[in-house]
Amino acid sequence: MISRRLPTILPDMTFEESLEVTKIHSIAGILSAHTPLISQRPFRHPHHTISGISLVGGGKIPKPGEISLAHFGVLYFDELPEFNKNTLETLRGPLEDKEITISRVNASITYPCNFMFIASMNPCPCGYYGSKEKPCSCTPDQIKKYIGKISGPLLDRIDLHIEVSPVKFDNFDNSKNTTDSKTIKERVNSARKIQQERYKNIGIFSNSELTPKLIEKYCILDTESKKILNAAFSSLGLSARAYSRILKVARTIADLDNSENIKVHHLTEAIQYRSLDRKYWGN
Amino acid sequence: MLSIIKSMSLLGLNGYLISVEVDVSAGIPCFEIVGLPDTSIKESKERVQTAIRNSNIQILSKKIIVNLAPANIRKEGSMFDLPMAVGVLIATKNIKNKQINNILENTIFIGELSLDGTLNKISGILPVCIEAKKMGIKQIVLPQENAKEASIISGLKILPVKTLQDVISYLNNDLEIKPEETSQNSSPDLINYDIDFSDVKGQENVKRAMEISAAGRTQLPFNRFSR
Repeated sequence: MISRRLPTILPDMTFEESLEVTKIHSIAGILSAHTPLISQRPFRHPHHTISGISLVGGGKIPKPGEISLAHFGVLYFDELPEFNKNTLETLRGPLEDKEITISRVNASITYPCNFMFIASMNPCPCGYYGSKEKPCSCTPDQIKKYIGKISGPLLDRIDLHIEVSPVKFDNFDNSKNTTDSKTIKERVNSARKIQQERYKNIGIFSNSELTPKLIEKYCILDTESKKILNAAFSSLGLSARAYSRILKVARTIADLDNSENIKVHHLTEAIQYRSLDRKYWGN
Repeated sequence: MLSIIKSMSLLGLNGYLISVEVDVSAGIPCFEIVGLPDTSIKESKERVQTAIRNSNIQILSKKIIVNLAPANIRKEGSMFDLPMAVGVLIATKNIKNKQINNILENTIFIGELSLDGTLNKISGILPVCIEAKKMGIKQIVLPQENAKEASIISGLKILPVKTLQDVISYLNNDLEIKPEETSQNSSPDLINYDIDFSDVKGQENVKRAMEISAAGRTQLPFNRFSR
């Protein structure tokens, strides 16, 4: 339910982006008669029985798959471990390259797939492993098998990991103020503007596109932060990819804070989003 | 007699020009389609012949050859029904217009035919229009249902038609088709989501993570404890 709301806080698409999304949907033949031009960011949520071909695209003359239909939008997988393992692994390339080339006898076609990937899952078959409220009733083997469906490399390509606890009864009180999409969107927009301004001379638009060299230039840490990152790196057993992702996320948090440099609390928040996979996957 | 009609096909995200060449001659009556058509195109011949007959035009038994050039790329889809029908009608002199070559030079025909001559919606019209405009084509004749989608593109005359009969009348100068007006008005400020983050109670850490990923275009998964 909450993931469905992500498009409401994403910046509006430009006309060129809309046109490209509309083109892909037009080719797939799923454009509705009422919306000649898609101006809302797409939100695709395929069921977990989806096959690899319908996810990445295919056919005699290849048609776009779900990942391309989610171009410039959001691709959401509910119940991640229920997906076929091979299907999940097909995402590895597209998540990095932002495009997919499908080769068949008749044609070899490249479709763009620059999407945001969101997934949700239970930590074990019964749903309570690691929970503070209820004991888990699964055997270690069951848990291992369940979360083992998600491979390390795929996990590594995901920037933020969070734990969601059940909603407390107090939270249902309507009088409490919760931030609405408009306010969050304004913050997101201003953070994106900062990024665009910073990268305007090097041809990229957001922190997620930073290359290792650019990370060195734009994600500068002070001595204390360096010490923390060093400690986290060895204690969490992070990979090189995870390391650069932490820095990118820290850079984004600093941008949201309208801060020019990455401060300690930005970095620690970013590390926290990275520690969950170590807790469950333990490597 | 030979007639050449311009149409478009799709390869990935881009459209490319297809010349539908129709030759009608004396000989053993047949209707052949060549130029690497797939099954959906081979079936066109039945739709084209029946749609023409149901538009009250009798075509005497002739040898009809249709070529889809360039002939080395495999084609699929039902969008060549209309150009084939128009080609047959011109080659059999059922459409008479002195300016016909001038019209054909600057026009793309695209659409699927029903047996009664009605034009059906096809997919992928937007990339076709973009490519047509790039090539300097002036107008495109397409099914009524596709007109809205095509109208995003400015600088291309979009002629929506309902039936094959309308196309015949138009080419015979008996009917004026009102071009679809271009509409670039679906500007982003019209977006109205009927869902909002304020509907979600609690879960502040999730909202925060979503905000960060939205700001940095990053990926995120989450675990949850619930059934």
